Amino acid sequence: MTVIAAATAASTLAACGGGGDDSGGGSGGGDSSANEASDIGITETSIKLGAHFPLTGVAAPGYSEIPTGAQAYFDCLNQAGGVNGREIEYIYRDDAYNPSNTSQVVNQLVLEDEVFAIVGGLGTPTHSAVLDFLNSEGVPDLFVSSGSLLWGDDPETNPYTFGWQTDYMSEGKIIGDYIAENFPDAKVGLFLQDDDFGEDGEAGIREYIDDQIVAAERYTPGNTNVGPQIAALQAAGADFVVGFNVPSYTALSQLTALQLGYDPQWFYSNVGSDPTLVGNLLNNFSQGQVSDASLLDGALTTDYLPTVDEPDNPWVQEFQRIWDECGGEGELTNYRIYGMSQAYTTVQALQAAGQNPTRDGLVEAIETAGSEWEGPVLAPFRYSADSHMGTAGMSISRITGTTTEQVEPVQLTDIGDAEIESYDGEPAEVPENGIPNEESVVD
Amino acid sequence: MQQFINVTLTGLTEGMVYAAFALALVLIWRSTRIVNFAQGSMAAATAFIALALIQAGWSYWAALVVALVSGFVMGAVIERVVVRRVEGGPELNAVIVTLGLFVAIQAGIAIVFGSSFQSFPTPFGLQGFQVGDNRIAFTPTSLYVIGAVLVTMGLLVALFRFTRVGLAMRASAFGQEVARLLGVRVGRMLTLGWGLAAVVGSLAGLLIAGGEFIYPAYMDSLIVFGFVAAVLGGLDSPIGAVVGGLILGLALSYVSGYVPRGSALVNVSALVILMVVLLVRPGGLFASSTARRA
Repeated sequence: MTVIAAATAASTLAACGGGGDDSGGGSGGGDSSANEASDIGITETSIKLGAHFPLTGVAAPGYSEIPTGAQAYFDCLNQAGGVNGREIEYIYRDDAYNPSNTSQVVNQLVLEDEVFAIVGGLGTPTHSAVLDFLNSEGVPDLFVSSGSLLWGDDPETNPYTFGWQTDYMSEGKIIGDYIAENFPDAKVGLFLQDDDFGEDGEAGIREYIDDQIVAAERYTPGNTNVGPQIAALQAAGADFVVGFNVPSYTALSQLTALQLGYDPQWFYSNVGSDPTLVGNLLNNFSQGQVSDASLLDGALTTDYLPTVDEPDNPWVQEFQRIWDECGGEGELTNYRIYGMSQAYTTVQALQAAGQNPTRDGLVEAIETAGSEWEGPVLAPFRYSADSHMGTAGMSISRITGTTTEQVEPVQLTDIGDAEIESYDGEPAEVPENGIPNEESVVD
Repeated sequence: MQQFINVTLTGLTEGMVYAAFALALVLIWRSTRIVNFAQGSMAAATAFIALALIQAGWSYWAALVVALVSGFVMGAVIERVVVRRVEGGPELNAVIVTLGLFVAIQAGIAIVFGSSFQSFPTPFGLQGFQVGDNRIAFTPTSLYVIGAVLVTMGLLVALFRFTRVGLAMRASAFGQEVARLLGVRVGRMLTLGWGLAAVVGSLAGLLIAGGEFIYPAYMDSLIVFGFVAAVLGGLDSPIGAVVGGLILGLALSYVSGYVPRGSALVNVSALVILMVVLLVRPGGLFASSTARRA
């Protein structure tokens, strides 16, 4: 605190006109030049960030934990001095996964709360509703929590928006390639959410195993009767089902398959596969009916982040420490790790944007340096002036009980007809206090 | 063929659930001439009460009884305290009040029980029966749902047709003044009607919840489908409600299973079915009394 106070005092006394040697980086903020209120949402001592998440409703299970993870990370970061002496003030609002609510809460964040940037807004249909607004207002729209291509493939139209997680098309390609190599005789059925999520995934997977696919069934979120869809997959003779669906539909599809005595090899894309969450959802049925998480036993899934069932992973250990010291109620979960990892990348971006960040400077910083950043994410980001796509790689693992074992190391690819190759980079080291230390690239 | 059987059976079970809810709407319509949009939230509230009890270690059946009783109390209290003030006024007032209740009760559930998804247990198995080499989409739970709905329908038919109370309820709903002149305690009958309808509604809510997920708004789509089923059946006939529910359940299941991207068309199909039926038979399929509107 004294450091911050000193910096503030210095700025009032010197009243310097900016410029100088913004050395950025570090977490102390005791640099030679002073902090200024350089843009909306930035004061000498704080940076205000906003986000929208489904805290209630159909998509809330799991996803509502993401902002609690980010909050814990920012709280610990603030205790350690924040970013260049500025504390992060993180405001997240509930949109209940309803696009009309998203417009409303994001309006509120931008116009009333006057946030510097939106970070990690969740959902394809929801975030689509505010994409134009944020870009026309010039509000940085960082690291959307969704794997749609919308956030990154057209930076000319949406210069302020950045993806973060592996996009669904690349994920589909990596899954397709894995099936072609390891299950060449499988008759594959697709269980898809009927929107961009399912479409992108399907497009990716069809690049590799179009001839193996015997059926593609789509469900509409909100319609909880998936009986006809699962019956159709069964009737088509699919013995390998790939699901691009949200977690509650993983549980519903498992229940329906149980009902029908349908037992294919399941492969759930990353979004819908958290074994702990699905186990919790099925929990009450376990009273004599279903043995909870074991339903997912043997299912395959993808990863682009370390997961809670890897207690030896140094990132997981660090996130566990942060959650224990700064988190709220409950356990560290994969969703909280997601939120923390996203917060980590956010801090990298803020550091790279220099001591007195501006909205345009933040975008420039990500485009310039983002592809170099290392962190908990397994594979590098694709950020450049031409692409705002997030990370490009995934590993594949098999769920056993409530843990997973890796069956395929990290594969890298990109959208379109880019090849798939193995990633040979080393996992990144964890920095002190789990706080990155990026140089400013904006001056 | 197997797919056809499974899609049909899925539709049958879903249809029975719609029917259960439609029965509650019919009951309240018959006994008070009000369409109660709050029915769904009221049912959801009792399902959450039941779930809380089950999680506290109660048996399913004890929790079911408590849920039904609390449903009755809630229905009766709402009638006495809220709806009574708008009864006898323009019909629209009562409908708007029930819409308001619908939102308020749902919000209340979220405040008390939280709004996360929770699975709701069922006393019977969730695995389909084995027929030959295949399992079919018909589980012990489906059997329980269908049985419970048929028994309820039978009881309602018996109540209205063979008992004095049923007759008095119909009379009070139909012509309050005349009924009162004949010595019927109209106020009491209206309260009883609301209470019974809430019991049936809460039974429907628990049947729907069994082996599925519940959250404060889980009855929302059921309100629409249940309402369509009730109107299909003429809004006045318990048997009509059940038949309407079955027709709707089967039709929607076929649309979902056989039309490309059918899952997205389910809600639209319900509307189309409703419109077609109302165009062909404005009083519903089982209307016995188009001229008898009070």
